[in-house]
Amino acid sequence: MKNFFVYSIRFCVIPGLLLFLSVLTVFSNQEGVTARYKDASQKLDINGQVETIIPVPKQIVKATMDYQGGPFFIEARKSEIKRFKCSSCHNNKTVSIQNAAAISHADIKMVHGDTAAPLACNTCHSQEDRDSLVTSKGSKIDLDHVYDMCGQCHFRQKKDWIGGAHGKRVTYWAGQRVVKNCTSCHNPHSPRFDKRWPATYSVPFK
Amino acid sequence: MKKDTSSKGLVSFVKDGILWNLSGSIGYQIYLCILVCLMLAGVYGYVIQFKLGLSATNMSNIVSWGFYISNFTFLVGVAAAAVMLILPSYVFNDKDLHKVVIIGEVVAVGALVMCMSFVFVDLGRPLQFWHLIPGIGQLNFPSSLLSWDILVLNGYLALNALVPAYIVYCHYKGREPVGKYYKPFVFISIGWAVAIHMVTAFLYQGLPARPFWNNPLMGPRFLASAFAAGPAIISLVLHVVNAATDYKIDNKIFNKLRIIIVSAAVINLLMLFSEIFKEFYFPTHHSQSAMYLFFGLEGHNSLVPWIWTAISINVLGTLILAFNPFKERQIFLMPALVLLIVGIWIEKGIGLIVPGLVPSPMGEIVSYSPSTVELLITVGVVGLGMFVVTILLKPALMIEKKYEETHGHH
Amino acid sequence: MDSDKTKKINRRAFLKGAASTAIVGTAAVTTGCKGKGLLGSSEVFALEFQEYFKKHYCLMTPAERQETVSRLEKLARIKQDITIEIDTTGPGQDVLYGYAFNVTRCEGYMECVKACVKENNLDRRSNTQYIRIFEMEHGQMSPDQGDGKYFHMVPREGHFYMGVQCFQCENPPCVKACPTKATWKEPDGIVVVDYDWCIGCRYCMAACPYWGRRFNWNQPEIPKQEIATQQHYLGNRQRVRGMMEKCTFCIQRSRKGKLTACVEACPTGARVFGNLLDPDSEIRFVLENKKVYRLKEDLGTDPKFWYFID
Repeated sequence: MKNFFVYSIRFCVIPGLLLFLSVLTVFSNQEGVTARYKDASQKLDINGQVETIIPVPKQIVKATMDYQGGPFFIEARKSEIKRFKCSSCHNNKTVSIQNAAAISHADIKMVHGDTAAPLACNTCHSQEDRDSLVTSKGSKIDLDHVYDMCGQCHFRQKKDWIGGAHGKRVTYWAGQRVVKNCTSCHNPHSPRFDKRWPATYSVPFK
Repeated sequence: MKKDTSSKGLVSFVKDGILWNLSGSIGYQIYLCILVCLMLAGVYGYVIQFKLGLSATNMSNIVSWGFYISNFTFLVGVAAAAVMLILPSYVFNDKDLHKVVIIGEVVAVGALVMCMSFVFVDLGRPLQFWHLIPGIGQLNFPSSLLSWDILVLNGYLALNALVPAYIVYCHYKGREPVGKYYKPFVFISIGWAVAIHMVTAFLYQGLPARPFWNNPLMGPRFLASAFAAGPAIISLVLHVVNAATDYKIDNKIFNKLRIIIVSAAVINLLMLFSEIFKEFYFPTHHSQSAMYLFFGLEGHNSLVPWIWTAISINVLGTLILAFNPFKERQIFLMPALVLLIVGIWIEKGIGLIVPGLVPSPMGEIVSYSPSTVELLITVGVVGLGMFVVTILLKPALMIEKKYEETHGHH
Repeated sequence: MDSDKTKKINRRAFLKGAASTAIVGTAAVTTGCKGKGLLGSSEVFALEFQEYFKKHYCLMTPAERQETVSRLEKLARIKQDITIEIDTTGPGQDVLYGYAFNVTRCEGYMECVKACVKENNLDRRSNTQYIRIFEMEHGQMSPDQGDGKYFHMVPREGHFYMGVQCFQCENPPCVKACPTKATWKEPDGIVVVDYDWCIGCRYCMAACPYWGRRFNWNQPEIPKQEIATQQHYLGNRQRVRGMMEKCTFCIQRSRKGKLTACVEACPTGARVFGNLLDPDSEIRFVLENKKVYRLKEDLGTDPKFWYFID
């Protein structure tokens, strides 16, 4: 029995202590990522960051206001509209157009606002200057800066969009900030996303 | 063998070992042939698996560990159980059990070989195993419990292979082994045996992602079930040795083992009850795995008959062994031993691994049963283990018997 | 006595012969199966031989990294007849990626899943997807109560959608579990896998509480024309069977300043990605102005993927 104790001290307790110490190392420090990013309040030098090619995927324009990091850009809209300028037809001159019924905007379905009484065309489109939009107070808004228009009612989404919680950046997360315009994603006459089939599916497991 | 081996060296030890293995009765030869056939079946299965990848098994991204790891878990316990022979014979100087320590150690070696084989066949890229070797690879010690497991299993294999090899070699040469050379390692192996099974338990216990495993009772429960199933397997091997060779084993030895087995089995059942209480008294979201195991979930109930059978035969085996109706003829207790072993094998193997992984962390529920390839390979590995035990045990027992005859009890 | 001995010797010889034939036979079968694949071309064999012995990615010198990249590119050209470009860009300075998912905006379109499969060269045969979208009923919060296998017109009444993928934990349990250090957390926060170092033990998969990791149970199959050729060594380069893989926040894109494929693909803008250490970033705006939460926060994994509602 004495042997047992001698042996046990030599061969069990000492290795046991070593075991305990190495187990302690396993419990590494648990610094939270929240603490880490909250500490990171120093603005970063944009030139020292990840190299990106400033994208010019389509036309971009500078936004009328800054976001938290300064000025930013948005996808232009006017270049995307096929028959801009509107005033090429909508003027005081007589215009003869072939197949006018097809391009008379009769295909626009208004699903915006109250279902019983949706928004009217001239709620947003200026009657005097067909190339711009008009706010409820009468100020003109360029089609590229449609966010000032939508932001009248959808001010929460506008605030989120400026900050980055709504909408999407274009291609890059780094470098000069270029984001999508409201109408890049939303059809202004029927802004809600359609119901559709998913792009793919997940296979059931065995 | 009537030869005088005292003047022979290591080479002749090995040669004699091989020769002794290949000679024997016709029954023995057939037995060896069967084992070789089992191993060949395993090789065939492994060739298929090597070609197709692990998709030849029924494991998936949900049940990422299956039959192989289940058997691995059970067999590590069997390997650790050799300590239940070593502890009484070396610490308490029990003369009877001292006679069969060698058999326990050889069974441990066989079990460890099976364990390592199961891990090897379970790896996705077994040829890259050298990535684990510290020095030429990278071993994530001490963070990863698997790295601990690799180290302790290999260390235990070395302990359990080299110490009996030294003793048997000394007996082959006809002299007494020198106590201070091997006795420290025997004492180390007592603690080490407990360590290997606790480390294996910690593999599962240390994963907060798996609430079925992440409880403090896993380590002690593994030990309890190991010390029930392991000595039971050793008892079976002793019955075979008693019947098939002239190395006679006394009834007292079987009785002592029986007491160890029953004590451990009762503790195991107590722990099982504790786990069941925790899961079912106030079922939480974390109890889903236990629900899946005992009652099935969403129509997936393939494990339910297995676990209930396992618990029933576990209890039945424990009761028979406890009340010992065949007091003098221990051989009639063999069925009870088999019941206990199978019960623990199911409950600790597939009844532990699969419910731990189902439902997945994202709630998916699937069924799992081993594929043909998995069964073939398992059969092969079991054959390998039995083969290792046989080829190590036969010459060892012959040497021991001869030594006992010429030198009396040591 | 002598005839007995002869019988024994004969039996011995028979067994020896049988055993050795068995061993030789299996060796022949095994090498035959493997050799046929390897000896397709001796150049391929030489390249793969060198690849087998290469070091852990972190221990490679830049020259060694270039060597392995050129070997992999050459192998792709010979074996698959495609030209790929494998990048080894390191982490940017002062960059820690963060991700936010807008649960109000997700409509369950799964465009992100489709884009991810294409961008990351995921196996089409087993339909591996890093991203899972769950259809949840109103009132539920945890994706394990949702349905991840829906396929019908979306969005469905009374349900909302949320996506899960690897959350790139700051305290990753998978990194702790890996026995060979084949997976680790890069300084910019992405938890990556050195695919060739992984031995496929799948312990990391058991350790992940978010089901973020995938295993290649079979050899991945990707149609040749769909293979994304701009690859990163730790990202979307082609894997073989037996190795783990996971979402890497499109390391091949994000380290070049580009948005991840899932963020780019989302039609509703439900995903926000950026640099947590930049106080002007969108992700910081979300974390500071929105009601954000993380999944299984009680496990202490500290994921860098937040959910928020509008």
